[in-house]
Amino acid sequence: MPRDGTLPARSPRALDLLNFFVADVQTGFGPFVAVYLTTHKWTQVQIGFALTLGTVVAMISQIPAGALVDAAHNKRMVASGALIAVIVAALLLAIQPTILPVMTAQVLHAFASCVLTPAIAAISLHLVGHAALGERLGRNARFASIGNGLAAAVMGATGTYLSSRAVFLLTAALCVPALISLLAIGRGQHARRQTTVGAFDWSGLRLLFSDRRLLAFAVCVMLFHLSNAAMLPLVGATVTMRAGHIANMIIAACIVLPQAVVAVCSPWVGRSATLIGRRPVLLLGWATLPLRGLLLAILPGPWLPIGAQALGGISAAVFGVMFPLLAADITRGTSHFNLCMGALGLAMCLGAALSTTLGGWIADVAGVQVAFVCLGLIGLLATLVLWLVMPETRRE
Amino acid sequence: MSPRYFGTITACIALLLTAAAADPPAADVQHVPPSQALAILGHKVADPEGKDIGRLIDVLVDLNSQPQAAVIDFGGFMGVGSRKIAVQWAALHFAPDDAKHPITLNLTPDQIKTAPEYKDVARPAPVVVATPPVNDTPAIPASSPKP
Repeated sequence: MPRDGTLPARSPRALDLLNFFVADVQTGFGPFVAVYLTTHKWTQVQIGFALTLGTVVAMISQIPAGALVDAAHNKRMVASGALIAVIVAALLLAIQPTILPVMTAQVLHAFASCVLTPAIAAISLHLVGHAALGERLGRNARFASIGNGLAAAVMGATGTYLSSRAVFLLTAALCVPALISLLAIGRGQHARRQTTVGAFDWSGLRLLFSDRRLLAFAVCVMLFHLSNAAMLPLVGATVTMRAGHIANMIIAACIVLPQAVVAVCSPWVGRSATLIGRRPVLLLGWATLPLRGLLLAILPGPWLPIGAQALGGISAAVFGVMFPLLAADITRGTSHFNLCMGALGLAMCLGAALSTTLGGWIADVAGVQVAFVCLGLIGLLATLVLWLVMPETRRE
Repeated sequence: MSPRYFGTITACIALLLTAAAADPPAADVQHVPPSQALAILGHKVADPEGKDIGRLIDVLVDLNSQPQAAVIDFGGFMGVGSRKIAVQWAALHFAPDDAKHPITLNLTPDQIKTAPEYKDVARPAPVVVATPPVNDTPAIPASSPKP
C-alpha cells in the first residue's frame, strides 16, 4: 500500500473540498460558452467551431494527459498546473471574447480537464491505498455531485441575473479554493509506485493494452455513454415542446435532482463495491439504462421525466465511483493508473459524442420515443456485454 | 476575421462596407444614433410581458432585401433544452431607445412550444406565424419596412 504515513490528518477533508470545488469549476465551463459567445455576436458557425475544438482536444488528449500524470512524481503539482490553466482559460474568456483567446481557452480547458480527473483519482489512491479506495471514491463522487448541483443552481442564477461573463469570473475565482484544498491535502512523498520510471515504458503499455479486463470495460464504458449521453438533451427537447414557459424549471430539476441522488448513493456504491464485489454494482448501474430509456419513452406529460432522470442518478453514481475504481483494479501493481483512466476516458468521450449525434438523428427521423427506445436498447446491450464479458476485478 | 473588429455586426457594418467599396469621391457618412438603430444579433428578446425568453441569433432576408423571419435561440437551462426557432419578422417589435426591452416578440413560449426547430439552412425554414396575424405595425414588410 503506497500510504507512507506522512500525510496530515486533515487530508481526507481537504480531498472532499477539492472534489467539491473542481466540480463547481467544471460546471461553469461547458454550457455557458455558447450563450456567452452569442451575446458577443459570434455567429452560430463560429460557436460550433469553438465547441467542437474543445471536444476534439478533450478526446485526443485523454491518453497523453494520462501518461503525463503517470510520469509526474508529484501529482499535486500536475493538478495545480491544470487548475491554473483553467483559471487562465476562464479569464481569457471573460476578458477577451475574440477568436484567438477563446480558441486558446477551449484548448487549455479541455487539456486541463483531461489532467485533473485522473490526477484527483491518483491523489485519492495515494491517500488511502487500494483496500479503502472504493469508500474514498464514494466520498469523492458525493462531494463532486454536491458541487455540481450547487454550481448549476448558482451559476444558472448568475448567468440569468448578472451576465455570462460573471459566470466565467466566478469560475476563475472558484479555482482558488480548489487550489487551497489541493495544497491542504499535504505533502506526502507522492506515489513513487504510481510513477512511471522512464519516459516510455513500452512493455508495460503492451501489457496494459492487451489486458482483457481493460478492453472489456472500455467497451462497456463506451456503450454506457452511447446510451446515456443523449438522454438528457432529448428530455430537454421534449420538455420544451410539452411545457412552454415552465420548461426551464423542469429541465433544472432534471439536472439537479440526479446530482442529489448521486450525493446520496455514492458512498453506498463505494462500500458495496468493496464488500460484495464490483460486478453486482456495475450491473446495477448499467441495468438502469434500459429501464430509464423505456420509462422516458412511455411516461407522459412534462413532469414525469424528472423521475426517470432521477433514476439516472443511480447509474451516474455507479459510473462515477466504478470508473476510477476499475482503473485502479486493472493497473494494480503497475504505474499506469492514469494512462488507464485516460484510455477509459477516451472510450467515454467517443460514446458520448456518438450518442448525441445518433440520438438526435433518430429523434428527427423516427420521433423522440423511438430514440429513447433505441438508447435504452443500447443500454441493454451494454448491460449484456458487461454481464457476459467483464470479469470480477476485486481482490481479497 | 480581425479580432478587433469582431463583434460589430450592426447597421454600422453596412455603412463601413459602403464606405470601403466606394470609389472617390468618398461616399457620405451618416451617423445613426443608437436610439434610432439597434444592433440586434445576440440581443435578448422579451415576451409581451417583458420576460426574457431568448436571444436573436440570425435574420432571414428575402430577394427584396426585406427581413422575413428572425431566428431566436431559446436558451434552456445550462444549455439543455436550448432550441432555435424561426419566427415571422412581423411578430417582432423593435424599440431601440427602450434600454430594458428593445426587442419584443409578440408570441408567448406557450404559443411556440410545439413549433419545429430551425436546424438546417438548406431546407425550407419552419417559420412561426402569429395567429391572428400581428398587425401592431404595418404587416407587409415590402411596402413599409420597419425603421
